[in-house]
Amino acid sequence: MSDPRSGPGELRVFADYQRDFADAADVVVVGSGPCGAVAAKELACAGRRVILLEEGPPLTPPDFELDGGLSMARTMREGGLRFTRGTPLATMQAVALGGGSLVNSAICARAPDFVLDEWCRDHDLERTTRADLDPHYDAVEKELGIGPTPADVLGARNLLFKRACDALGYSSEPMPRNVRGCRGSGECFTGCRSRAKQSMDLAYVPAALRAGARVLTSVQVREVLVEGRRAVGVGGRVVAPFSGRPGPAFRVRARAVVLAAGCMATPVLLRRSGELGNGSRQVGENLQFHPGVGVAGVFPEPVDPIFGATQGYQSLQFVEDGFKLETLWAPPGVLAVRTPGFGLELKERLAALPRTAVWDAIVSCRRSRGRVRPRRRSLDPVLSWHFHPEDVARAAHALHVLAELFFAAGALRVQPGVHGLPDEIDSPAALERLRRHPIRAQDLVWASTHAFGSTRMHGDPRHGVVDEGGRCHHAEGLWILDTGIFPLSPGVNPMLTGMALARRGARALAEAL
Amino acid sequence: MGWLALGLGVALAAAGARLLAGYPRPASRYRRLTAPEAAIVAALADAAFPPGGAIEPSGCEAGVPGYVDRWLDALPSRNRLLIRLLLFLIEHATLLFPGPGLDGWRRFTALRPEQRVAALRGWARSRMHPRRVVFTSLRAILTMAYLGSPTVLRRVGLAPLAIPTPIGDADLLYPRVGASRASIPFGPDDRTSPSDGTPLDPRGPVHPDYAEPSP
Repeated sequence: MSDPRSGPGELRVFADYQRDFADAADVVVVGSGPCGAVAAKELACAGRRVILLEEGPPLTPPDFELDGGLSMARTMREGGLRFTRGTPLATMQAVALGGGSLVNSAICARAPDFVLDEWCRDHDLERTTRADLDPHYDAVEKELGIGPTPADVLGARNLLFKRACDALGYSSEPMPRNVRGCRGSGECFTGCRSRAKQSMDLAYVPAALRAGARVLTSVQVREVLVEGRRAVGVGGRVVAPFSGRPGPAFRVRARAVVLAAGCMATPVLLRRSGELGNGSRQVGENLQFHPGVGVAGVFPEPVDPIFGATQGYQSLQFVEDGFKLETLWAPPGVLAVRTPGFGLELKERLAALPRTAVWDAIVSCRRSRGRVRPRRRSLDPVLSWHFHPEDVARAAHALHVLAELFFAAGALRVQPGVHGLPDEIDSPAALERLRRHPIRAQDLVWASTHAFGSTRMHGDPRHGVVDEGGRCHHAEGLWILDTGIFPLSPGVNPMLTGMALARRGARALAEAL
Repeated sequence: MGWLALGLGVALAAAGARLLAGYPRPASRYRRLTAPEAAIVAALADAAFPPGGAIEPSGCEAGVPGYVDRWLDALPSRNRLLIRLLLFLIEHATLLFPGPGLDGWRRFTALRPEQRVAALRGWARSRMHPRRVVFTSLRAILTMAYLGSPTVLRRVGLAPLAIPTPIGDADLLYPRVGASRASIPFGPDDRTSPSDGTPLDPRGPVHPDYAEPSP
């Protein structure tokens, strides 16, 4: 077997930077998350000189922090404590080689037909169709070994969900994920110690290196370099892992700049770079999320929640109604933050965690919008977002369905987490009260790791930031290839669609150069 | 004028005493928590997780203040400041939202345990959304810290399992965080077979960091 270090590519880590430096390439890609890593690999395979920049360090299994809170404090921007203004919603952005893929639950879902139809119809798009995207989905799925979660690592948490869906006549299926050899550790959120999850640091980044890309980690891009209306590179500082302490300065000049820093960071970079590419005034607008509704159910028998794929089962039954149902697990300290009660009562509920499953719904918001703005003297964004009552009603419907599912699976009681309702509902008959309760946005605690829309693609340059290939309408030499270019919710988990669009955009860019 | 100055001086002294005086020296040395903050976290920890009940250790016995200190240390400075303000708010908001009884106006750490619980229930059940957000944030931190304790996780049966980690190509590429690439201990011959998907045994041995300490 060959030594992966003997290839033509080059990897640099924090210890490699002693002084300021400058570099050059055909393409500089900012961000090594799922979209940026795919773009870098495709461009390198097409023979372009590529430099991939990542603010975070590579993390190896001995670096993984098993405790959820401490892990988030180290691997997430703002220590995992990022919230929106307006309707408070917790959201996250990973800072590590591989980006969010290192600490997400590996869910890979193609955007449904009706979503792509809507995108094309409402945003003057012509080539974002099933037929156009499927070859890119196929290629990414093959590269990452994406497939349904194997039955023997589902565990009771996931199988109870299947049982519930069967009982109520809802469709359900094992979650398609980018894993090879999953052992059911349920540790996707803190880093896969089995090395089964095909996160970008294990898959696309090494592939990019093999194809000759240069990968610079621990470098924070602070601006896009501009000459006239043309992006000609990026500049920033080396930053120490975890502490973010700034070190030497750097500049990378390139014929093309690809921003794949994520939909909460890319608009900040553009706005800090003299409103680059913002001729439509849409940079940072249209921020959208999939707010999640989580419900816990306590069963009479042990669920052994520490065993089983983190999110191993899903139901697409209600996708066209605006929500998708999933199973969920996370480090206990993170998962239990919504456990109701206080004092001895809270202790009793925590003691029941081995008999508890948590299922969630991600809600496609048709009316809720927000925006991204730079924070003064910081690269972190100021996010605002407002949950529209129509979308809250959709979330309330999802909440009721989840509670129904738990009782259908034999749960003794359900914790809906709604202010103004009892902490626990202990009979299916009591669900009627949940159904009738007028839920407002401030009655629940909201979180979402799916964010998109802040640099949307649109066929009309007056209404969008990029075209269908990710090329910026209002700046030359600039491409955006992250989930910010989604015009609307993808209806399902966004990672795979982001990667498919990145692959398409990168291949078009490689041809254009 | 003299009386006004005297009154102002007394008020300032009272405010200073409320803010700074009378906090015990922390039992442990902390990197980030000050003595008042350590006292606030300890009071909150034992209010949220009192001794006894379904899980044996109390919040303090489970090391909640130590965890919060480590967590604060890992946070960016801006977020650390926000958490400090949260603790300060809980400690002194009894001026606006007092605990039960004539002495409920005292700072949170000076309240009796049952007054502390009542004060926190007031935050949890408030009709004011921002107060509930404060409570939810606080309980999230405390729960995260309580379940960060290996002892608690063992008691609950949710301690992470021991999992052998295969060595693959990526392990030849990446050093430990902060180390140089020359420190990578693996070569091509050290690579092992990738995970074969054998399901873990949920009753199997736990990760060494979470194992019962040997006597």
